[in-house]
Amino acid sequence: MARELSKIINNWVPEESKVIDFGCGDGSLLQKLIQTKNVLGYGVEINDSKIEECIAKGVPVIKQDIDKGINEFESSNFDLSIMARSIQCLKSPNLALERMLNLSKRCVVTLPNLGYWRCRLNLASGKMPVTPELPSSWYETKNIHLCTIKDFEQLCIDQNIKIKDKVFLNSNGSSGILASINPNLFAIEGVYLLEK
Amino acid sequence: MKSITKLINFTKGIALESGKRLDSFDLMVETYGELNESKTNAILLCHAFSGDHHAAGKNEDQGIGWWDQIVGPSKAIDTDEYYVVCCNNIGGCSGSSGPTSINPNTKKVYGSDFPIVSVSDWVNTQKMLMDKLNIPYWHFVAGGSLGGMQALQWSIAYPDKIKKAGIFAAAAKSSTQNIAMNEVARESIRKDKNFHNGNYIEQNVIPKNGIKTARMLGHITYLSEKHMDLRFGRKFQDDASKIDKEVDFEVENYLQYKGEKFSESFDANSYIIMTKAMDGYDAAGKEDSLDEALKEIRAELLIVGFYSDWLYPPERGKEIQIAAINNNIKSSYVVLDGEHGHDSFLFHSEQYSKIIKKFIQS
Repeated sequence: MARELSKIINNWVPEESKVIDFGCGDGSLLQKLIQTKNVLGYGVEINDSKIEECIAKGVPVIKQDIDKGINEFESSNFDLSIMARSIQCLKSPNLALERMLNLSKRCVVTLPNLGYWRCRLNLASGKMPVTPELPSSWYETKNIHLCTIKDFEQLCIDQNIKIKDKVFLNSNGSSGILASINPNLFAIEGVYLLEK
Repeated sequence: MKSITKLINFTKGIALESGKRLDSFDLMVETYGELNESKTNAILLCHAFSGDHHAAGKNEDQGIGWWDQIVGPSKAIDTDEYYVVCCNNIGGCSGSSGPTSINPNTKKVYGSDFPIVSVSDWVNTQKMLMDKLNIPYWHFVAGGSLGGMQALQWSIAYPDKIKKAGIFAAAAKSSTQNIAMNEVARESIRKDKNFHNGNYIEQNVIPKNGIKTARMLGHITYLSEKHMDLRFGRKFQDDASKIDKEVDFEVENYLQYKGEKFSESFDANSYIIMTKAMDGYDAAGKEDSLDEALKEIRAELLIVGFYSDWLYPPERGKEIQIAAINNNIKSSYVVLDGEHGHDSFLFHSEQYSKIIKKFIQS
């Protein structure tokens, strides 16, 4: 995970909190949170070799398809749930948001912005966007529910979800001026702290 | 691999969960590797229903150990690095006190008089063994199936004596279906005309047919449908190698062979005692709350299930994982392909071995 992104998330995580990271990959974000914030962290991952990496790092991990099992953790009293760069891959992103906020007070969601100008140029030329951030062609991509920054914030309004904080990243992976002035056009990624 | 097998006597005896007592008992123990100076590298292996103390390596009497694919030099549980201990549980029939032992009070074979034992009793005897071997704590306690139940019980009963637990192809309690299968097996033993209410040794006979049928049924439940299909299909057994003339298919011959072999080495009363212990275990305890039962655990847990296991399917491990998370216990839950059904926990696969190894080292 890009340094800037993990730094932003790190800022939002309370010391010694109980955190669940859906789609945790190799567990490096959780490892950092364990080291810097002394959190009790659990990762959820479906990829076996990533799971191995988590275990090697000493990061607790649960093998689970996040499309199916978010609500299994409702009784576990998490302070924070994280879903970085995964929500657009789910069958029902709106339900996933709902469920994450059922199992934890707050959640962090990051997602690619389909409104980014490069994507718009691609579409204007009559083709599905293929960019450095969204490199797969339409028939191979796992991103089945892409949206723009505007779309996502509208969904939050519709579902009565409060946006407590947000940061927009430009193509360098840092929070640039243009991306913060007009994120829907210039941000490649939105990073949100949400609350019910 | 340095390996020692010895019989250890516990003269103080033990008070069992059932309320009964064993005034004195023996444990047949096998160890691999060496305890380091700081005594931080001890690992306990807990055997499943029909296992014993011989977990790794090869010896003349018992052949290859039941977990030899996982335990040994440079293997997942590395005997070059760790001091690995395994004992035959009481109630068994491989050297530890059980129904075929002599009752020190009556000087006669226990037979049906051997008391019912439980998973907790086994863990308590293993704790006595730990003390006897001057081991301050286990770095890792692991087992599959009924052995996984013991690993879980260790972390519940002795939270400060265990750092990590490996709970493989196991559950916090046997399911209704598990109990039902075991009862059919027990019934076939009890109804064998040579059973004599469990006192067959006095009569110089063994209820061989009953044990054989019980094992044949058990064996089916340990394998997966797919694995049986791939291995045997609907192939016919050739006449020359038929164990019984009634046999048509290869799978029949295989079960006949396995059942026959088992019935020659395993004691019928042990079969009943071991399956009763399995059926009776419920980590949730009298309160019937797994969340409550896991409260004191301080060990880190590794729970592994296998997709092809229909006897203790992965969801049963998931129940332990969720209760562990509810109690803020560091715990991981992994499901692997494992083509061998319930028996998958016995076999090496690259992923399975890697995960165990990394978990022990992390």
